[in-house]
Amino acid sequence: MPHVSESVERALDTLSEVLRGKLDLGWMNANPGGWGVRATPRDERGLGLEDINRVGAYGEVPDEGSHYGSMAPRGSEIPDDMPSLGCYDINDKSLVWADNVAHLYDEAVARQWSSARDIPWNQLKPQREDLEKAMCQVCTNLAEVEFVAGDMPAKWLWHINHDFHEVKCFMASQIFDEARHMEVFRKRALANGGGLLRSSPDSEQLLRVILEAPNFTTGSALMHILGEGFVLTLFRNGEMFALTPVEKKIFRLCMQDEARHVAYGTMHLKYFLEKHPEREEEIHEILSRGEEATFSLNQTQDTVEARAILAGGGLEHIEEGFHKLGYLFKKQINEYLYRLKMAGIERRSRLAIPFELPL
Amino acid sequence: MNLFPSEEFFEALRQRANSDPERWRRLGTVDMTLVVKIDYPDRAECYEIVFAGYRCVRTRRIASPANAAKGAIVLEGPYTAWREMIDNIAANGQADLEHTLNTLTLMDTPLHVDSDNQLDTDLFYRYQENLQQFFDGAAAINAPLVAIAGAHLQ
Repeated sequence: MPHVSESVERALDTLSEVLRGKLDLGWMNANPGGWGVRATPRDERGLGLEDINRVGAYGEVPDEGSHYGSMAPRGSEIPDDMPSLGCYDINDKSLVWADNVAHLYDEAVARQWSSARDIPWNQLKPQREDLEKAMCQVCTNLAEVEFVAGDMPAKWLWHINHDFHEVKCFMASQIFDEARHMEVFRKRALANGGGLLRSSPDSEQLLRVILEAPNFTTGSALMHILGEGFVLTLFRNGEMFALTPVEKKIFRLCMQDEARHVAYGTMHLKYFLEKHPEREEEIHEILSRGEEATFSLNQTQDTVEARAILAGGGLEHIEEGFHKLGYLFKKQINEYLYRLKMAGIERRSRLAIPFELPL
Repeated sequence: MNLFPSEEFFEALRQRANSDPERWRRLGTVDMTLVVKIDYPDRAECYEIVFAGYRCVRTRRIASPANAAKGAIVLEGPYTAWREMIDNIAANGQADLEHTLNTLTLMDTPLHVDSDNQLDTDLFYRYQENLQQFFDGAAAINAPLVAIAGAHLQ
């Protein structure tokens, strides 16, 4: 037999003992208080996280995550010699939790779609050059920014204590949602005789602010509430000004995912501020930076011209398009401020950008 | 015969949606209450549509949005706009580019979405494809429209 390490030797010794009939079976008596449960689906939607959180103590989410620093599932028996993995340093529930997170995860799992199969790509039609170019520029912008909502959760995911697995599961579902968004906009740009157009330095500025946020909650406020709230309206915008049923479907499906992310972010901020009202100013400060970066991004010439062409129905109607974008901007701001109000933060008097555009 | 608007019409939409469980399973779960409010010059008609999981569980006529379940989202507009949308769906098999729910509501005219709070309004966006396909079901339920608003109630 080739040379093996000490740990492999020990494992082989244990296996020999087991095969010779020297069983331990102590594990069968582990966690007696957690035995005998029977989670059941509440209806035909199947067994969700919400359902298994209703049995025994398994749904009790502690205010402080397990100090073991391991991946041991919440509610399991943890041996005293459990090693720490040394990475889980977000152990305070209030820094990640939202009361709707288990529901949102279950919803996310049920609502996954495929950009390959669920978009009627065969219904694309050749478009006038100005319209196709405008759509491709919008898709280029969206393909650029969407995956920040994959990279940002990923940055924090492996710091979050496993006792908050609902949050981790939801973050993972968001990462997959955003992968799908990035690919579907790239696909649309490449599927109708056009191509990708210009990337945006202003987009990168906002993305940097989100990725460099000092903690998860400020990053979430920037990304989920501000960034994704604005993008949600962009998706609504895209659905309205779609050139074919293809874009209609793309933007409607993306809009659904985005609204789910916004719902998490709003309720997380609410939970956080209820526990830490003294940190409200920290949120205001990061939102000021984010609002300025978002405003610059939204008003870059590439972005605003492309959207106005689509909104107006062509380059010759770009003025009408600008007017529609002006109305939509006001809607974006108002919806953003209402979501912050729901989260417990009054931002109207501190908004760092105009309420209206001179369009 | 399912005249629009009527309890029969919305019940037919409900039954149509529930008759294709595989399609709804692919779309995903919905948990919301929608109130369709149809405005006439001198009155309004309201219909509550309740979704839970993969099904539309109930439709009923209500006196006003205040009688709907807590957290209901109100989708409101003049009868003429509703009629045009249903006509369009019937003619095309589904809403065309100018008559989807999102298109009709984004500029807050001719239809408008409202609720007690933004998170409830956001449910309208969160379940948009399901709602669109629910109303697109009007193409299959043989729903002639009244020639004069409210005539079928006389």
